[in-house]
Amino acid sequence: MKWLTAAFAWQSRAVMGRHVRLYFADWPIKLLPPALEPVTMLIAFGLGLGAYMSGIQWQGREVSYLTFVGPGMLAYAAFMTPFFQALFAAFIRMHFQRTWEGQLTTQIEMPHVVWGEILWAAALGTLYAAIVACVLALLRVFGVLELEVWRLPLLIPIAFLAGCAFASVGLCFTAVIPTIDHMNLPIFLLVLPLGFASATYFPIDHPVLIAIATVNPLYHLAEGLRGLLLGAPALYHLAALTLSCVVLIGVLVPLAMRLLSKRVLGE
Amino acid sequence: MPTLLEARGLVKHLGGRRVVDGVDLVCHAGEVLGLLGPNGAGKTTTLRMLYGFLRPEAGEIRIDGSTDLAQVKRQIGVCTQNDTFDGDFNVEQNLEIASTYFRPRPERVPERVRELIERFGLGPYATTRPEALSGGFRRRLMMARALIHRPRLLFLDEPTTGLDPQARMAVWDLVDGLRAEGLGIVLTTHYMDEAERLSDALTVLAAGRVVSQGTPKAVLGDLVGEHVVVVDVQAATEAGITAWLATRGLGAPGGVLREWHLPLRGDDLADFARAFPALRYEVRAPTLDDLFLKLAVTRP
Repeated sequence: MKWLTAAFAWQSRAVMGRHVRLYFADWPIKLLPPALEPVTMLIAFGLGLGAYMSGIQWQGREVSYLTFVGPGMLAYAAFMTPFFQALFAAFIRMHFQRTWEGQLTTQIEMPHVVWGEILWAAALGTLYAAIVACVLALLRVFGVLELEVWRLPLLIPIAFLAGCAFASVGLCFTAVIPTIDHMNLPIFLLVLPLGFASATYFPIDHPVLIAIATVNPLYHLAEGLRGLLLGAPALYHLAALTLSCVVLIGVLVPLAMRLLSKRVLGE
Repeated sequence: MPTLLEARGLVKHLGGRRVVDGVDLVCHAGEVLGLLGPNGAGKTTTLRMLYGFLRPEAGEIRIDGSTDLAQVKRQIGVCTQNDTFDGDFNVEQNLEIASTYFRPRPERVPERVRELIERFGLGPYATTRPEALSGGFRRRLMMARALIHRPRLLFLDEPTTGLDPQARMAVWDLVDGLRAEGLGIVLTTHYMDEAERLSDALTVLAAGRVVSQGTPKAVLGDLVGEHVVVVDVQAATEAGITAWLATRGLGAPGGVLREWHLPLRGDDLADFARAFPALRYEVRAPTLDDLFLKLAVTRP
């Protein structure tokens, strides 16, 4: 279980501390896109596209499209940010900057590098999701959508756990793709299909899509958050999300450690 | 001087090839141990095992008396062959960030950072990103970073490769200063003059094996001989010299283009002079260049 205990070691915190220091060196610039993106999307999808739609049927009741898509955007932020951090940013640090190799000449070992990347990616995903949550809360104040915003703090542990799982998927791809151009493969073969069958931006009711969605953690994240924030049953989706995240982390983190040791150290 | 590093019987296969085959070496405090050998000899693989990047398949590495590398990693500094500084931070920040990767935390980090920046001549570039530095100053940053936590043993993997002569000599001065402070230093190089000037002891590798160990002079005596005869070979003399070498069991000659370098013992030199009285040639003391030429000729 050394691979798991490494998550709590000071070395993993040191790696994460490096990322935190870099991020907050120019935080106003880095926080601006995730703050503006949900506003733009909510205006475009919710107010723009939603204005042409009647209400959406969800769990036997009618909700506005904006109310439906709000939790979906939370889920998407908690999914995309860790995945892309562990894919692009980690690949650049590993391959082009050789930052990891430098870290590994110290008391940092590969399990700490991997956990440092995963924890940072998950923390960033949680932060971005929290920013989206703030925007949703603001819209709720203005009466534009109907969400039980007092439940929004529950988002934090959920997004963090899901972020760890999504980041471990991203790191496994980072370990095996030969060049940065090959990043298109996981994006087109995994990210887009997962997003399509996730009920983030539109409800899914086709039986095949529903069947696929039952093994899609993003679907359970979106539906779990939607259930929480719309006051509907969410236990099934949150339990399924937790289970799938535990399985992904349990399988993919040790795999990423092994693959990255081989790639970075030649071992 | 206390022994800081002792490695016995190191073995490593990479890509199905036995690249390190029973290497032994020792480095003491205040000593520079040069690891020398042609490309593919196993120098970098040996070094990567010593600082923990690769696990040896056989053998034992003892650093400061301990075989638990994780326990003694606080005692070692590593300057890899490639630049592995943190490109997202400037020179000063690189040193600060590196200090966070050690426990116990290095004491008085701001003072230590200033001291290293001054010592390595990085003052004018303290707020510069590493990629904007020249090759020589990048190497200096790499060495400064390897020293941030005051290690007792320093690994330098080809520290001057690709540098101009002035920058190389600046690095030599820094290495010499570190040795004087009592650090044990293990360096790999394929520059003969660098190995001769810096090393107190040499370990020569060829095809993954140690072919000689000792002081530079002893290693040369072992492997090359007492004298080197430099002959500008013409077509008329080539066959005669080749035949003479064969009868003496001295093997194929090494050399550069038409200039042959023949390492000979004293009695062989006297015989050579008798065998080729009309030939013009130069006799000089052997250098590590001759050792490389010899290793290149005898390489399997």
